[in-house]
Amino acid sequence: MEFTANTAEQAAPDPVRSAVYYDGKSSRKRTVVLAFGDKLVISGEGLPSESWDYADIRRADGAPGVLRVSCLSASPLARLEIRDATLAADLESRCARLGDNSLDGRSIARIVGWSLAAAASIVLVILFAIPLAADRLTPLVPASFERRLGDAADAQMKAVFGGHACKAEAGQAALVKLVDALRKSSGLDLAVEPAVLDTPIPNAFALPGGKVYLLKGLLAKADDPDEIAGVLAHELGHLAHRDSVREVIYNGGTSFLVGLLFGDVTGSSTLIFASRSLVTATYSREAEQNADSFAIEVMQRLGRSPKPMGELLFRVTGKEGDNPLSILASHPLTEDRLKRMSELDRQAAGPPLLTRTEWTELKSICGPVSKT
Amino acid sequence: MNQMSFVAGQPPGVPPAPVAFSGNRGRFLSLASRGAALELVTFGFYRFWLVTDIRRHLWSHTLVDGDAPEYTGRGRELLVGFLFAMAILVPIYLVYFVIGIEAERFKAFASVPLVIGFYAFGQFAIYRARRYRLTRTVWRGVRFWMDGSGWAYAWRSMLWGLLVLVTLGGAYAWREAALERYKMHHSHYGDLQGSFEGRGWELFKRTWGLWLFGPVAWIIFPLLPIFYAEFKAREWRWWLCGIRFGDVRLESKLPNTALYGLYWKVIGWFLLFDLVIGAYVALCVFLLKGSGPMEAAMQALPKNIPFMVLLVIGYLAFILAFNVVMRLYFQRDLWARVASSTKVHAIESAENVTAKGEAASALGEGFADGLDVAGF
Repeated sequence: MEFTANTAEQAAPDPVRSAVYYDGKSSRKRTVVLAFGDKLVISGEGLPSESWDYADIRRADGAPGVLRVSCLSASPLARLEIRDATLAADLESRCARLGDNSLDGRSIARIVGWSLAAAASIVLVILFAIPLAADRLTPLVPASFERRLGDAADAQMKAVFGGHACKAEAGQAALVKLVDALRKSSGLDLAVEPAVLDTPIPNAFALPGGKVYLLKGLLAKADDPDEIAGVLAHELGHLAHRDSVREVIYNGGTSFLVGLLFGDVTGSSTLIFASRSLVTATYSREAEQNADSFAIEVMQRLGRSPKPMGELLFRVTGKEGDNPLSILASHPLTEDRLKRMSELDRQAAGPPLLTRTEWTELKSICGPVSKT
Repeated sequence: MNQMSFVAGQPPGVPPAPVAFSGNRGRFLSLASRGAALELVTFGFYRFWLVTDIRRHLWSHTLVDGDAPEYTGRGRELLVGFLFAMAILVPIYLVYFVIGIEAERFKAFASVPLVIGFYAFGQFAIYRARRYRLTRTVWRGVRFWMDGSGWAYAWRSMLWGLLVLVTLGGAYAWREAALERYKMHHSHYGDLQGSFEGRGWELFKRTWGLWLFGPVAWIIFPLLPIFYAEFKAREWRWWLCGIRFGDVRLESKLPNTALYGLYWKVIGWFLLFDLVIGAYVALCVFLLKGSGPMEAAMQALPKNIPFMVLLVIGYLAFILAFNVVMRLYFQRDLWARVASSTKVHAIESAENVTAKGEAASALGEGFADGLDVAGF
């Protein structure tokens, strides 16, 4: 140990009572003598004598074999270092609150407790507060912003699916006629732009602002205009209820809170989450049920049965109830939807929504259909 | 100042002071394992206390000229910093979202460049987090501290980053030198000002071969850890040898091969854990698969809830175990090897430094955590 000039010049202190002291004002290493009285008295050459209250002395991190302490009432960085084990034990026995700074079992239990409370509150917020906030905020979002959301999602959609909308004129006219009939019957006051996308996936979705996309895969599986009409009416239901905006608010809030829990709150993942919800239209089951109600009402007002739509969905998905994970599904089970629509089945009272020719034109909107 | 005159009177050729690491590996392992388990129980909130514990362990077992520095930061400070950072980041995310929508409307995926804004923010966070750690480091009763501006640093980092991109990595060494100069120039120990004397050209000379043949390692991928370990060792040595505080300077004799073992061992553990998890999954399949034809039984498994629960448990155990291994090798062992290779010259000139500087807030660490750029 190189105890420099000071040490050498001092009258050799009692080795048992000597320690190293840093006053917190400079990095100068001083050898001091400790005296245990009412208080701990630290004295050294050229040093105003310091006295530390035992109750104020706290352990600071030190290397193994060194007791390093600080004092609450002294300079915050003043440190006393004791290398002699007996002297260290002597001081330790006098300082009752030496370990108050350290993380003991109780403070860890407190951290665990608060974390669980925080986690529970986040879960409750996700389950109850965010859906409520989404419902309340959705009417406040201006329609122009909703249209912008839709345009942004549309650009991504086109990029993902190759952007190919089927253009056959007669087919498009039939589609517009069908959607217009549904829109008028529902009283939806919104310019709807329907299109068929050339992709084999059997699905349909509505983008905020009024774009309704029917994917060719679903059209190919349909045998009857009423089947497609039901699906389109369902999508109009989403538009009427502004489910996309609600979903964006809900997903954004949820993924932010989940990120808060696990520390991964990067903007990118929140954005990915929110925009994915736009594109794939993973509406919640409640929203789906409401859209179904909307579709049923529209079809009935037109004097048509809602049952064909249920049949088309069943044809696409098959029976879903065998899956015990179905509680995680975003849609109601197809068989339940079919059951609900079958119960409301009745003889068609209104005129067909499309003529036979128009239906054929719609079916071949993406080019001639190969009969299977 | 008789101390100074005494030092000045010393004969030239005072031996440099050694840096030693005296930490017990088992202690660190149990600290990291316990921390990982608590992180699981607390849904990740324990991370603030775990990084604090790790830093306290590493700091207090590193003996510089016989005396260990002290890490005075606390987990609670990090938690508060994180919450404040969140309060600031949330409105920024919202603005980012709205601008992103506008950009996407203009062209699909046009919002991707906005990520650059977050990269800049990350650089700012790195600077401020370093400031927090430095001001929580106390040696011989005097704290280290830092001034300078996080945004000035982020700006420099972005411009240099662009140059590195344009030169396909060739400018990396100069970027490191420039950024380190900025950081060290604004670092202080009491009234001793830091500086950095490492030159970009020096680092380039030591690493150009690895840069040039780097693409080969991407093809023959078992070479990758070797290249990386070699590169890291050279870079560490260059960095340490460039550090100055007043007249105090560091020197490192870290061998080029010093870090090979770390990377191989982590890869080894990773493969071992893979085998274990593979066997575990196979066991779960064997025990829980239904009777009947093989194919149908396998198809029914994803719908078997006990099986899925067992899979999630296995996955979490794997992640936790691997986290412990990463911390043990890439934090503790790396620290121990680098520290023990270091010597401090002219430490006498730091023997009577006047205390200066204040502790900085943990906001920077909060940003770094929120943006996922956290370092040590």
